[in-house]
Amino acid sequence: MSDETLLAERRNGAPLRAKTGRSGLESRQRHAKARAASSFSGFAYWATIVFFFMPLVVLLVASFDKEKGGEWSGFSFIWYVKLFTESGELWRAFGNSALIAFASALTATVLGTLAAIGVTWYKFPFRGYVRTLNFLPMILPEIVIGISLLVFFAGVGLKLGLVSIYIAHATFNLPFVFLMVSARLDEFDYSVIEAARDLGASEFQTLMKVIVPMSMPGIASGFLTAVTLSLEDFVITFFVTGPGATTLPLFVYSAIRFGVSPVINALSVVMVAGTVALILPLRNYLKYIAAK
Amino acid sequence: MNGSDVTISRVGKSFGSFAALDDVSLDIRKGEFFSLLGPSGCGKTTLLRILGGFEVPDEGTVAIDGVDVVGLSADKRRTNTVFQSYALFPHLSIFENVAFPLRLRKVPPKVLSSRVKDYLALVQLEAHADKMPAQLSGGQKQRVAIARALINEPSVLLLDEPLSALDAKLRQHMLVELDSIHDKVGITFIYVTHDQGEALSVSDRIAVMNQGKVLQVGPPHEIYEDPATDFVARFIGETNLFRGAVVRSEGLLATVAIPEVGEVLVTTDDPVPAGSSVSFAVRPEKIRIAAQKPAAARKDLNVVKGAVDEPIYSGFQTKFYVRTEKGVTFKVFKQHADYSDKGPEIKWRQEVFLSWSAEDGTLVEVARP
Amino acid sequence: MTARPTKGGALYALPNALWLTFFFLAPLLIIVAYSFMKKGLYGGVENEFSLRAYALLANAGIVKVAFRTLLVALAATALTILIALPVGYNMARSKNQTLKLFLVIVPFWTNFLIRIYAWIAILGNEGTINGFLRSVGLISDPIHLMYNQGAVILVLVYMYLPYAVLPLFSTMDKFDFILLDAARDLGAGKLESIVKVMLPNVRSGLVTAVLFTFIPIFGAYAVPLLVGGKDGYMLGNVIADQVMKVRDWPFASSISMVVTFVSTIGVLLFLARQKRPGVSKEQAAALAAEAAVAAGGGR
Repeated sequence: MSDETLLAERRNGAPLRAKTGRSGLESRQRHAKARAASSFSGFAYWATIVFFFMPLVVLLVASFDKEKGGEWSGFSFIWYVKLFTESGELWRAFGNSALIAFASALTATVLGTLAAIGVTWYKFPFRGYVRTLNFLPMILPEIVIGISLLVFFAGVGLKLGLVSIYIAHATFNLPFVFLMVSARLDEFDYSVIEAARDLGASEFQTLMKVIVPMSMPGIASGFLTAVTLSLEDFVITFFVTGPGATTLPLFVYSAIRFGVSPVINALSVVMVAGTVALILPLRNYLKYIAAK
Repeated sequence: MNGSDVTISRVGKSFGSFAALDDVSLDIRKGEFFSLLGPSGCGKTTLLRILGGFEVPDEGTVAIDGVDVVGLSADKRRTNTVFQSYALFPHLSIFENVAFPLRLRKVPPKVLSSRVKDYLALVQLEAHADKMPAQLSGGQKQRVAIARALINEPSVLLLDEPLSALDAKLRQHMLVELDSIHDKVGITFIYVTHDQGEALSVSDRIAVMNQGKVLQVGPPHEIYEDPATDFVARFIGETNLFRGAVVRSEGLLATVAIPEVGEVLVTTDDPVPAGSSVSFAVRPEKIRIAAQKPAAARKDLNVVKGAVDEPIYSGFQTKFYVRTEKGVTFKVFKQHADYSDKGPEIKWRQEVFLSWSAEDGTLVEVARP
Repeated sequence: MTARPTKGGALYALPNALWLTFFFLAPLLIIVAYSFMKKGLYGGVENEFSLRAYALLANAGIVKVAFRTLLVALAATALTILIALPVGYNMARSKNQTLKLFLVIVPFWTNFLIRIYAWIAILGNEGTINGFLRSVGLISDPIHLMYNQGAVILVLVYMYLPYAVLPLFSTMDKFDFILLDAARDLGAGKLESIVKVMLPNVRSGLVTAVLFTFIPIFGAYAVPLLVGGKDGYMLGNVIADQVMKVRDWPFASSISMVVTFVSTIGVLLFLARQKRPGVSKEQAAALAAEAAVAAGGGR
C-alpha cells in the first residue's frame, strides 16, 4: 500500500497555514469571510425576484402615467377611470372568461375526481388507458392541442364560440384535477374505505361521506388550478374561438396587436391585486384543511 | 497513520441570541480517544462542527498540531467526520462511497481499488462493496461511514453521535469495534455523545459539557468518582446528591450536616474547613442495604434508617428506592454477585438500614466560607 | 396502495375516459390522419393518401425555422435551468421558505399575455428602457430591443423560469444537506460537492425542470409572435399560419407531428427516469401538479 505517497500528497495539497496566535482583528476578519462565502445563491435568488417583479413594477408605474409612452408625463388616475367607465368590451370579455373558467373547472373537477377515485381504488380493464389519457394532455404542446381541437370541431360541425372554448378548457383542465386528487388519495389507506363499509355505509355513502371529504384539499386545489389555467389560456382559446366569443386573454391580445391602450396597464394592476386578494385567503384555507 | 493534537482555546459561538459555546478551551492529545459528553443542546455538536470546518467560531482559535485552522474549510483539513445520520451518498454504491475521496484526488484506479478494499476489510464489509446504501442495515451503514471517513487518512476522526441510530445491542457491539479500530489506526478520535455509558466505556478522557460550557475534563473514572459539579454528578451514572454544610473538619475527614439526612461523614482530598457549603454525593452501588443495623465496627460508617418504597429486580441487580424517616428517597443498587444471592430477600415496605463508609461519599461544589 | 377489484371502478372513470377520448384522443388521431392526406381546394382535406405534407417539411424555409426553434428552445432551457439551480438551492436552504416561495409565485398570477405585454412595454421603441435612455440624453433614436431572438429568449426565460424553479426547489428541499458537509469533509470543493453529490440526488427534479421548460418552449406560439416578429418565428407560428392563413391543414398537421414527436422523446425520457428507484410516479405527478398551480398556468 502506498500510504506514504498518499499522505505526502495530501500534506502537499494542504494550503499554507499560519501559526496560532494572530491578532483578534485578523481572526475576526477570517471568521466573517468564511461566513460570507455562501451568499452566491442568495444573490441569484434576489436578482431573480427583481427580474420577476420588474415587469409588474413597470406596469404599475405606467398605469399612473398621464400619457402613454416610455417617459413619465405626470400622475393620473385617468386609466383606472377609463377601465371602469368606458371599457364595456373588456368587461364583456372578462364575463366570458369567468363563465368559461367556472364551467370548465366544474366539469373537470367532477370528471377528474371521479376518475381519480376509480383509478386509485379499483381495478378495471381500461385503467392504464385512463391513466395515460390523463397524463398526455399535460405534456403535449398546447399548439398541437389547439390545432387538433380546431380541426375536430370543424369536422363535427360544431360552431366555434363559447361552447367550443368551454369544451377545450375542460379538456386541458381534466388531467390536472385528476393528478391532484390522485396525489391526495394516495396518502390514504384503503382500510379507511373498508372501515366505512364495515360500519354500514353503502358505496354511495362511502363516496359522499368519506372519500370526497377526505380528498377535499386535493379537489379544491384541483378546482382552483383549473380556474386559473382557464382564465390564463390564450393559445388553445385562440384557435377554438369564434366570432363574438372574446375572452380576457384574447382581448388583451388584440389590444397588443392593434394599438395598446394604457387601460391595459390599469387592468393588469387591478388583476394582480385582485388575484392576491382572492388567492391568499384561499391558499391559507387550503393549508388549514391540509393541516387538519 | 499519525494522530494530531488539537488545541481549542477560548472558542465562542452564538446562533442569534443563543450562545452555543461559551469560552471553551480544551487540549486533546495525539492519538487520544476523547469524548465530548453532554445533553442535547449543550454545544458538543457545534464544537465538533467547528473542528470539522462546518462552522466558524465567533471567537477563539482551533489549532491542529499547533496550526490554526479557523477559516479553513472542511475539505482543506486533516479531519474527517462520521456523521450522525451516516450521510452516505445514496446515488453511489458502497465501493464508490468509500472511493469518493480518492476519486476527488484522482488517485490511480489500481491504487484506489486496493485501498478501498483494504478499508472495506477494516470494517468487514468486503462482501457488500457493490450494494447501494439503501440495501444496508443501520450497523452496516455505520461501518461504511467509518471506512469512508478513514480512507483519507485523517489525523483526527470526528464522530458525531455515530451510534445513536442503532439499537442497544448493536450499539454495544459497534462500541467495541470502534475501540478496536481506534487501536488499529492510532489517530485521534473525538467522539460526541449524549450517552454517558458509551463515553465511559471507550474514552481515554471525557469532557462533560452543559449549556455551552465545559464543566469537567478527565479520565472516565475521575469523572465518575469525583464529579466537579452537581450537574456532572447527576448526568454521569446515578447518584444520591444532597446540599449541606460542613460542621466539623478533622484533617481529611469532614462532617456534613444535611437537613434531609442528618450528619454524614466523608473523607476529602484536601481539608475542607467548617462552614463550607457543599453538595454531598454517594453512588447507589456504594450503599449497602440490610435488614439489621450493621454493627458499629468502624467509626466512619454512615448509617441511615428507612423503608423500601420500591424494589426493582433486573437480573444482575436489584434497584431499591428507600425512603428515610425524614422523607427523602435514596437509590441503592444491590448486585447479585453470588449464586446464593438470587434476588431481593428484602421486601416492599420492609424497614432497612443503609450504610456506606466515609471514603465512598464525595463532596461536590465546595464553597469555602 | 393496491387497487381492489370492484365492479364500480369502471363507472367512476368512464365519463373522464369518454370525454378525453372524444375531445383529446380523437382530435389528435384526426391530425395524424390529416398529415397523410391531400390538401383540399378551399382548406380542409381530400380523402386520399399522400405524403405531400411530409415532403413539404424538407422545404428550406421550414428547416430553417425548425432549426431556429430548436436552438431557441435549447438556449432558453439552458439559461432557465442555470438560473433555477441556485435559486432553488437558495430556497431549499432558506429559513423563510414560505415567503421565498410566495415571492416566486406572485408575479405569475398576472395574466400570461399581460406579462408578455409588460415586456413589450419595457423593450419597445416607446418602452421604458428607450424612454429612460432618451430622457438622460444618451440616445435620440430608439434602439431596437424587440423583434430579435434575444428578446424571444429573454421573455421565454421569464415565462418558464418558475416551472424550473419549483420542481428543483421541491426535490432540493427533500435533499439531505448533510451530504454536502460530508462531501466537503472528504475533500470536495464547494462546487465539486454540489456537482458530484447534490445534482445526482436531485436528478428527478432536474429532469422535470428541463421537460417543463423545454416542451412548452419548443411549442411556443404567443411569445415569438408578439416579441419575435417575422424573424423570430418558431414552429408554433408556422403551424398557426398554415391553419389560419394558408389553410393547408395537412401541412399544419405534419409540422404538429414533428413538434409532438420531439416532445414525446422528452416524455419518454421522463418516464424512463421514473423506473429508477427513488422517484415514484406519484412524486412526478405531485411535481407536475405543483408546477401547474404555482405557475398559475403560464401555459
